[in-house]
Amino acid sequence: MLDVTLTHLATLGSSAAASTAPIQTGSAVASTMHVVAATGVAVVPTVFEGAANTVAVIVLLLEFMMLRTALFRAQIRLYAFQSLAVSVLAVVVAAGRDIPELYVLAVVSLLLKVIIVPRVMLRFLRDSRAEIAGSGALGVASEIILALVVAGFGFFTVGALGIQSPVLPTAALGLSFAVVLVSFVLMIVRRDVVSQAVGFFSLENGVSLASLVVAAGLPLILEVAFLFDLLVAVVVFGVLIRVHQTRSSSLSTVSLNRLRG
Amino acid sequence: MTATLPLPATQALQVLTIAIGAPGISGVIARVEARLQGRVGPRILQPYYDLAKLFRKEALAPAGVGPFFLLAPIFSLACYLTVPMLIPVLTSYPLPLGYMGDILGGGFILALASFVVAVAAAETGNPYAQLASSRAKTFGAITEPVVLLVVFSVALVTTTDLPYALSATVLSGPDQIVRPAHLLASAALFMVILFETGRIPIETHTGTIEFGMIEEGRSFEHSGPHLALLRWGSAAKQMVLYTILINVFIAPWGLSSTTRVDQIAFAIFAFLGKCAVLGCVVAVIDDSFAKLRLLKITEFVAAAFLLAVLGVFTLYLGGG
Repeated sequence: MLDVTLTHLATLGSSAAASTAPIQTGSAVASTMHVVAATGVAVVPTVFEGAANTVAVIVLLLEFMMLRTALFRAQIRLYAFQSLAVSVLAVVVAAGRDIPELYVLAVVSLLLKVIIVPRVMLRFLRDSRAEIAGSGALGVASEIILALVVAGFGFFTVGALGIQSPVLPTAALGLSFAVVLVSFVLMIVRRDVVSQAVGFFSLENGVSLASLVVAAGLPLILEVAFLFDLLVAVVVFGVLIRVHQTRSSSLSTVSLNRLRG
Repeated sequence: MTATLPLPATQALQVLTIAIGAPGISGVIARVEARLQGRVGPRILQPYYDLAKLFRKEALAPAGVGPFFLLAPIFSLACYLTVPMLIPVLTSYPLPLGYMGDILGGGFILALASFVVAVAAAETGNPYAQLASSRAKTFGAITEPVVLLVVFSVALVTTTDLPYALSATVLSGPDQIVRPAHLLASAALFMVILFETGRIPIETHTGTIEFGMIEEGRSFEHSGPHLALLRWGSAAKQMVLYTILINVFIAPWGLSSTTRVDQIAFAIFAFLGKCAVLGCVVAVIDDSFAKLRLLKITEFVAAAFLLAVLGVFTLYLGGG
């Protein structure tokens, strides 16, 4: 009696692993990423893929948290965390796929995006008395549902393209597109300059996530050039924030409703 | 040759473990919470004394309520104690009645119990009890999609929605644990459990502020043994939900894989220990966050929904 139940359970429990194991060992890992076995179960990702995807999901979740945050400082802190997650992903890829120059990239992006950019942004905000961003164009729950729809769109359009990467699982590419799209939502629905700037910077995080997936072997000099592009954007946004603040003595963009020649 | 326990006895033991252990877990949470606040706090066994005291008291019912009001506490406790037959509490292999229902079936029974309590509360004339039951149903309706999506992701991972199957899948190796779909579904389920057990981001568990009450407010008109049954039932519900989270999603280790008595005895202690650890985590959350305003609960649920949807998305993309 017990034996019967035990074997039944064994077939049940390991059906995900056992039924698809031959496929996974039979061909390269990258090409099985999209294979869905006849039973309808997605192939179980390896530990490396699982970890990489989890970090990518964390990047996306932090992007969603930015939609919710009301404090300027908290938003900038979230951006720092998100950049940290991207750097961690670079380290994971470097270790898992043995691409040493990604370590350098991780360090540079850590210095720039986790430390320097947030510090500069916080300094720009030091003079401002406002601490709380006004409400966005929508309620938080509706914003999240909207962003979720947009993210799902990004997910599945990228999934339909069928881009394969030798370095990272394809899901991470879909996730990076979702990050980009959600950061657009953030920039559109929020009505304060800081959220819009942070949305722009986090868009860059999404793009660097995508570049990790598609072109991890990109020459380092190019990657670093992108990072310094970001620095230029920070300076431009900083100046804009300053100008806006001195003119309208607030950080809200609600007053910007007239076009001037 | 060590003694073995017949399967029906093990099944009965699963129900008994939940029924007897549940007030103790509530006691542990209350104690840890008080210690974290710098108070001495009640004894861990305090919920048992409370139940004993309430059982000795007389039962009063408001004028005009029907028999439903008096039967609801018994019925709801019976529902909560049916679910442990369907989920892995002590054993990693399915027991004879384990296939009576899947995760959705268990969810239906839990929902039925809370529906019965809500209807009984609505039968009284007490505005706070009615307010609480209407809130419980309103917010219950918005958490339902989260639960469904968690079940979907389980179904996509295991091709069944039997709790035993997911538990065995999680046990099968680390690659099943680090996959984002599993982590996201577990996190979403944890948030649902915080909601369902009325813990801090949603409501204060031992509060006396009627305006913020959801779960607690429903039992205002019950008294004596009926109140005891309701309290016991909500403790049992809490432990059942903890069991689902622990033994199905997060840590199905320590379950007995044979029918030997010593293994099952070890499984009981391991299970109670795991529940106590989860209770400590809940107590820490209780002490480190503020209660959300009622209108902000939708944001909390939206976050749980987001996690669950992302889990299903990543599974569909093949990377989950």
